[in-house]
Amino acid sequence: MATGTAALRAKANRSARPIAWWYAALVLVMAWGLAAWIDELRVGLAATGMRDIVSWGLYILTFAFFIGLSAGGLIMASSAEVFGIKALKPLSRLGVLSAAACVCVAGLMIIPDLGKPFRILNIFIHPNWSSPLVWDVLIISVYFVFSLVDLFVLQRRARGTSKWRATARVLAYIGLPAAILLHSVTAWIFGLQISRAWWNTSLMAPLFVVSAILSGVALVTLLALIAERWGRFSLPPETRRWLRGFIIVSMLIDLFMVGADYITMLWGNQPAARAELNLVLPNGPWSWLFWCEWIVGGAVPLALLLVPRLKRLPGSLGVAAVLALVGVYAFRIELVVVGFVNPLIQYPPGNAIGTYNASTSSFEFVGRYSPTWVEYGIVLGLSALFATIVTVGYRWLRLGKSSSGDPSGHDDTLPTLLADKGASFVGGRDQWP
Amino acid sequence: MASKRKQKRQVGQTAPTRRYAMVIDTNRCVGCWTCAVACKEVNNEPLGYWWNRVLTTAPNQAWSSQSPAAAPPASGNIDVPYGTYPNLQLAYLPVACQQCNDAPCVKVCPVQATFRRDDGMVLIDYDRCIGCRYCMAACPYGVRIFNWGGGEYAPGGIVGYGEDYYVDGHLVFTPVRPKGVVEKCTFCVERVGVGEKPFCVESCPLGARVFGDLNDPDSEVSELVNDGGAERLLSELGTEPNVYYLPVARRVPAES
Ligand code: SF4
Ligand code: SF4
Repeated sequence: MATGTAALRAKANRSARPIAWWYAALVLVMAWGLAAWIDELRVGLAATGMRDIVSWGLYILTFAFFIGLSAGGLIMASSAEVFGIKALKPLSRLGVLSAAACVCVAGLMIIPDLGKPFRILNIFIHPNWSSPLVWDVLIISVYFVFSLVDLFVLQRRARGTSKWRATARVLAYIGLPAAILLHSVTAWIFGLQISRAWWNTSLMAPLFVVSAILSGVALVTLLALIAERWGRFSLPPETRRWLRGFIIVSMLIDLFMVGADYITMLWGNQPAARAELNLVLPNGPWSWLFWCEWIVGGAVPLALLLVPRLKRLPGSLGVAAVLALVGVYAFRIELVVVGFVNPLIQYPPGNAIGTYNASTSSFEFVGRYSPTWVEYGIVLGLSALFATIVTVGYRWLRLGKSSSGDPSGHDDTLPTLLADKGASFVGGRDQWP
Repeated sequence: MASKRKQKRQVGQTAPTRRYAMVIDTNRCVGCWTCAVACKEVNNEPLGYWWNRVLTTAPNQAWSSQSPAAAPPASGNIDVPYGTYPNLQLAYLPVACQQCNDAPCVKVCPVQATFRRDDGMVLIDYDRCIGCRYCMAACPYGVRIFNWGGGEYAPGGIVGYGEDYYVDGHLVFTPVRPKGVVEKCTFCVERVGVGEKPFCVESCPLGARVFGDLNDPDSEVSELVNDGGAERLLSELGTEPNVYYLPVARRVPAES
């Protein structure tokens, strides 16, 4: 079992110069994003591909995606404490670091979406408490501060001072419900709206919570694998097994909920809901999302994690994590963009889209959307910011160093991990090769 | 100028005794788009922006989102009848902001830029809106228009009402359409404030639009609404619009 890890670790010693290139690339992408944003400020949101029917696009769906990503880390770090899963402890600090970075990037992602970004403080000056968006901004801010505090405490504990242990425990008990609240409130931005048949389901909050756990755990898995490959981070087999279990279970629940929603819409056959569903089902214009969600991000990663022959392949966990992220991102596109495509009042000539072009109609009957380079630039720039925060944080907190002697950075050693009763979670037959 | 503004701000104070409403008679509407163009003119809407549209529908389709929709003409063009020859149907549905009593857009606006006056008008403070477009996602009627890039105007400069207009300190109308905020039909608040009717009501050549005060039992709108038979768009959503429609009453040919 350790052969793969050891082989990878052996390659990991050359780490000084590549990091400079990595930073340079990140700075370049961030500069591109900044330039794109300046261009958007100049032109207005006309620089984006959004128009009056599909009036939210890449920014909001990526915002929802990053909010989801922030779940995994914090939920794992907290579960390690709350449910006493020792195998997850080595991931605590990495998880909380990625949670903080994700939630920071998610918050920033809203700003380029605003038509009047310099008025954003109005949310705090004139808050409308019936708006889920106000609550979301509030919870995002609290969650960000919370994850920083949690990171600080975990760092102190890792340095060996036992007096921080109690604090870490208390924080874990706050962190779990806080994470669930964050995702529920984000889900309610969409789920409470009677105007969109595609959104208006009570399943939205639970669905957001599971897809958040799925994507968040996949992200932490990926980060841990990358850190193991290049950053002298150690990922014990027992921890891998837990990550695999988390991905499998949350993916199954996620697909189950999406499927249950489809069935409800198909059976009810109400015109508004069917109009949306037909877009994503096979043969519909957005069916590529369906395939991304169910096959690329569903069946394939499940096979990689469950079929004995496949799961023994060295890269299977990493590939499955990437595919899980693809699936959840497809779900976000499906939610935000497809939700807008067919307005409830849809009669010729449709809605005015808000731009004039002498050669084409100003009206659109069915909404269309394709992001522009400004949108891609800003989203990639902010994603690079995420990578920068994680890289800098990883090195600054010395997450890699502590693993050289003792995998978890504090009280857990490999033998105790393996002996832990948590090992029964995935099922006894699931032995890491 | 200052006294003028003060006078305008009082509009909000005199309002609570009123409940403004509009009744649109779809029997009379011939789909000429005069109201839509008049709206563009009085509000100085840029090219490609329409606060008021006249949709081509089959008769009485839009009162509920659950009513089985007649398949629209594949072209998506206006004035094309629904159905197959000889069983063709055609009616028009003018749609602008429905001035909901329980308005989803008011509920979701994070900064209270969209607000509802006691007299039933739903307005937007253009100085406060942050342009998040949450209200567009929440409005079931698709009548909110975002100003994406400032817009291009038809030659001839500013037309229509030429001054800023404030209600209780909120800028609810401004002659040049501001970039980066959401706009929509205001029920012509600046005209109603001085006792005039909304410009679409004025301009309809067929008299299909009636505007008035629902709190006055003798007003024409009260009579039409209380008479029964007036419908609201997507009434099952519970948004309680103050725009009513008189359904098409002419005989619809039976399915063969
Ligand atoms: S029609 Fe739309 S914009 Fe107008 S009040 Fe109702 S929800 Fe708001
Ligand atoms: S776009 Fe403006 S009016 Fe609409 S919800 Fe956002 S702040 Fe309110």
